[in-house]
Amino acid sequence: MAGELIGNILILIVLAGLGAAGVISVIIWKKNRVARVTFLRFVIQAVGLAALFFLFSLEPSIPLLYVLIAWFAVMLFLGRFFCGWVCPFAFIMDIESVIRKALKIRYRLLPERLNTALHKGRYLILAVFLLLPIALWLIDPPPNTASAVMMARLLAGPFRPYSIIIDPLIPLVVPWTGQIVLGDINLSYPYISDIVTFIDTTPGQIFAVVFVVVTLIGAFLIRRVWCRFCPAGASIAAINKFKAFKGVPLLYIEKDEEKCTKCGVCKRVCPVQVPEVYEQKGGKIGTSQCMLCARCVEMCPYEDALKIKLANKPVFKSRNWLEPSINDE
Amino acid sequence: MSKNGTVEQRYLPEISRKEMDELKNTVKIASQKIIADNIERMKRADPHRPEAMKYFDDIANLFGRRQQEIQAEKEKGKKVIGYMCLFAPTELILAADAIPVRVNSGWYDTSKLGDRVVPVEVCPVIRSTIGAKMIELSPFLEQSDALISVLTCDGMTKLSEILSDQQTIWGMNVPRIKDSTQSLRFWSDEIKHMKTQIESFTGNKITRKNLNEAITQSHRATKAFRRLQNLRRTNPVIMGRDAMLVNQAYTWDDTKRWTEKTELLCDELEKRAQQKDWVCSPDTPRVMITGTPMFWPDNWKLPTLVEEGNPQGIIVADEQCSGERILNDPIGVDEWSMDDMLNAISERYLMASTCPCFTSKNGNEDRINWLINKAKEWNVQGVVYYVVRGCMLYAMEYSRVKKALDKINVPVYYLDTEYTREDVGQLKTRVEAFMELLNARVDF
Amino acid sequence: MDLGTQRVKAVVLKDDVVVGRGQMFAGFDPAKATEQAVNDALKAANLSLLDVNHFTATGSAMDLAPHANNTVSMMGADAKAGVFLIPQARTVIDIGAEEARAVKCDARGLMMEFVVNERCAAGAGAFIEAMARALEVKLDDMGLLALKAERASPINASCVIFGESDVVSLIHRQESKPEIARAVFDAMADRISSMIHRLGINPEVVLVGGVAKDPGFVASLNRKLDLAVQIPEYPEYAGALGAALIAATRAKGASK
Repeated sequence: MAGELIGNILILIVLAGLGAAGVISVIIWKKNRVARVTFLRFVIQAVGLAALFFLFSLEPSIPLLYVLIAWFAVMLFLGRFFCGWVCPFAFIMDIESVIRKALKIRYRLLPERLNTALHKGRYLILAVFLLLPIALWLIDPPPNTASAVMMARLLAGPFRPYSIIIDPLIPLVVPWTGQIVLGDINLSYPYISDIVTFIDTTPGQIFAVVFVVVTLIGAFLIRRVWCRFCPAGASIAAINKFKAFKGVPLLYIEKDEEKCTKCGVCKRVCPVQVPEVYEQKGGKIGTSQCMLCARCVEMCPYEDALKIKLANKPVFKSRNWLEPSINDE
Repeated sequence: MSKNGTVEQRYLPEISRKEMDELKNTVKIASQKIIADNIERMKRADPHRPEAMKYFDDIANLFGRRQQEIQAEKEKGKKVIGYMCLFAPTELILAADAIPVRVNSGWYDTSKLGDRVVPVEVCPVIRSTIGAKMIELSPFLEQSDALISVLTCDGMTKLSEILSDQQTIWGMNVPRIKDSTQSLRFWSDEIKHMKTQIESFTGNKITRKNLNEAITQSHRATKAFRRLQNLRRTNPVIMGRDAMLVNQAYTWDDTKRWTEKTELLCDELEKRAQQKDWVCSPDTPRVMITGTPMFWPDNWKLPTLVEEGNPQGIIVADEQCSGERILNDPIGVDEWSMDDMLNAISERYLMASTCPCFTSKNGNEDRINWLINKAKEWNVQGVVYYVVRGCMLYAMEYSRVKKALDKINVPVYYLDTEYTREDVGQLKTRVEAFMELLNARVDF
Repeated sequence: MDLGTQRVKAVVLKDDVVVGRGQMFAGFDPAKATEQAVNDALKAANLSLLDVNHFTATGSAMDLAPHANNTVSMMGADAKAGVFLIPQARTVIDIGAEEARAVKCDARGLMMEFVVNERCAAGAGAFIEAMARALEVKLDDMGLLALKAERASPINASCVIFGESDVVSLIHRQESKPEIARAVFDAMADRISSMIHRLGINPEVVLVGGVAKDPGFVASLNRKLDLAVQIPEYPEYAGALGAALIAATRAKGASK
């Protein structure tokens, strides 16, 4: 089968890529402390992609379910760590950014107000994704029991809590599982299977095309553009919003008020334009907008001013990234 | 603008060439003596002063080597761009292959000349700069083909106007509220405008590559600079005055060479720290200076008093735009595109600054944070809040600083003075009493 | 020894008890004057120079002091003496001829914080002296004169010279002498009290220095600060006493 062949080639590519990434990251880790985290993130993202690939291409149903439930549990404790460090979709967007950087094209910013509006509006988008099946059911009730069951299974999809996070990524990671053909183009792309399944051909296709354009071209010009809409991210964020889970996020960014000189670097380098790291006076940064990608911690030029803490223990601190011990060679 | 009097001078009085030369010579000779004397005293304070300080002693002579170097470069066609406040984007100047120099004046004698133009209530830094212009004393001010004047305090605003009698001035508006989006937008427009201005003036285009190099260069300088400050965290290996001179030399020295020499100095100091070879007893009270900038050469009396007093103190940190603020903040470039570099430059110069001319949602909180952080990390035992009369912004912020430092139990002493040598005796009493107070605190 | 700007004072201390005092006008040769003052003090105590274990000098000319083993700042000496004389003292104000100081101290007589008046004699003894000259009264009579006044006319105390011209204009307005005298003290007390407010008032407040002997000023200061300032015996010797106390501790430290 062509799909399997592509799959095998992909596995090889992924493995080779991982090896190369490992070597490169070791070299860069040694040489360039400033960009360490960024490279580490690429490595983790690649590993995440590979892991998900093997997960999805294996017997999908049972082990996947458990793994995904485990994922869900981890997500509860880590907040949006998944978005910043693992999500394959984000990986694609990051790679787009790297290409853009190489082409020396500058990034655009979303207007601040739109960004905050989206921050709040993500829940609406999440609701739309969740309610879409019900709306479709109501508009177009299935004719018979068999198709009703099928529909129900499809509908149940987005309600499974892990599903909205992981399901859309399946066609991205394992291209042949969610083959969506638009015209003649195979668009294995997150959410598109959902969109096209739920909405009839023409509007669904328009929606899908818009989706692809917004995310692919958008992410080329605006860093991590989809992360600002993403219902998956919103669902993770929503979980952490409940009072009972307030203390749960084990992973968070903390700011030392006295060491911060408010130079604004953190605000500028943030790929999702989170203002809180800059604006908040100190302490735990409490925003579900933040994906914990640690770019701000990495770029903060003041020692210990920002740190990422895991269960109250600092895992990674901002450093004087001009520290004298680095040699220039 | 011409110097031969074809344009009417709006502020500066007409001084005959003869009188000007006479005054200039007198002040210059006096000043050279003072430079030599200051260095002599610094040498005496630390009998085996680091070898690497020799270079800085040499460069500290404002009328010496560096002046001639700049002159030679100028003859080759390079432009010199002077600046007064630290907000001037020196990286842009470097990227356009011009020489940036800071032109604020620290001469006491010229402040008296400045009295002829502005009243004595005006800050002596301003008066002294005016005086230096009147008699064409300051080598760097005279060599500057253009001056970037950032309108920070009232004095600076009018100083630029006064200097425009004789020189090309590029004013830069600085927004007073530091942390709002519109301020940043405004300021980055100013920076972009400055870029085109520098480009058309020097005739060199600031390319992405040039700017990248300039920023990397300033990163290296910051690295060396921070290394030096970090060496002052532990038991003293260098006298505060020496370090302050090194810091300040950056504002007129060649960036690359300064970085190399500072790294050399740090190497030497690191060795000393390993050998536990301290410049003075580790019990010496550790002092931080904050407030009005102190400019070499004349305005060196407070550090001298602190470090030569009885009991002696040692300056381990400062919060002054003539000191540690010069290079403390690196330019945090995210992506090396022209756009992002310019954004990074504007943020670095606006938002990272702790100048009291700013305010923000929480007032000038950044400065308080700087002081508290320095006091904790550098084990500062006492802070001298230095203000020259007429420096309103610093004087007015004292109460807040005092309250904040009282909270962390670090004593502050408010010391106000003038650009004169006459009050050294009185200052000495006060500084020594403060050192005694610090000593008493150490004992118990 | 306290080598002040106008007078030099010496105190001899034996087992924490003052046994001799001496003072002298500083004149052009403060060292010589100090020598004299020390001799006077020793004579009063029936001791000779050789009996003295330790000399500590203070005051603006302390570096010139003869015999001095070491020096101490005026503020440190004031704090020490203030607490020695009045153990509850936590704020010591020292007003000398040309300088006014306020020191915050703790129970051990260690200074915690201090303020000094701005390089100008308007907050110090010389101001009263100049005003007395303008009013043509004796310095010692100024205070008594001021106490007679019912009200005060406001004058400027930012500077001795301006103050003097203010006094002259008051004379021209034919204000009575006591009122002008009180105005002088009020103006001065105003400056001193604002200086102390900057430091924060910690009772008990002790006033030392030559000006403390002036009842007119003390009354004005009490009014301004709204409390009763304590005045020890021989306030003008406080600086010298503080130095002597410090000399005593240092001598003990050295002999150990």
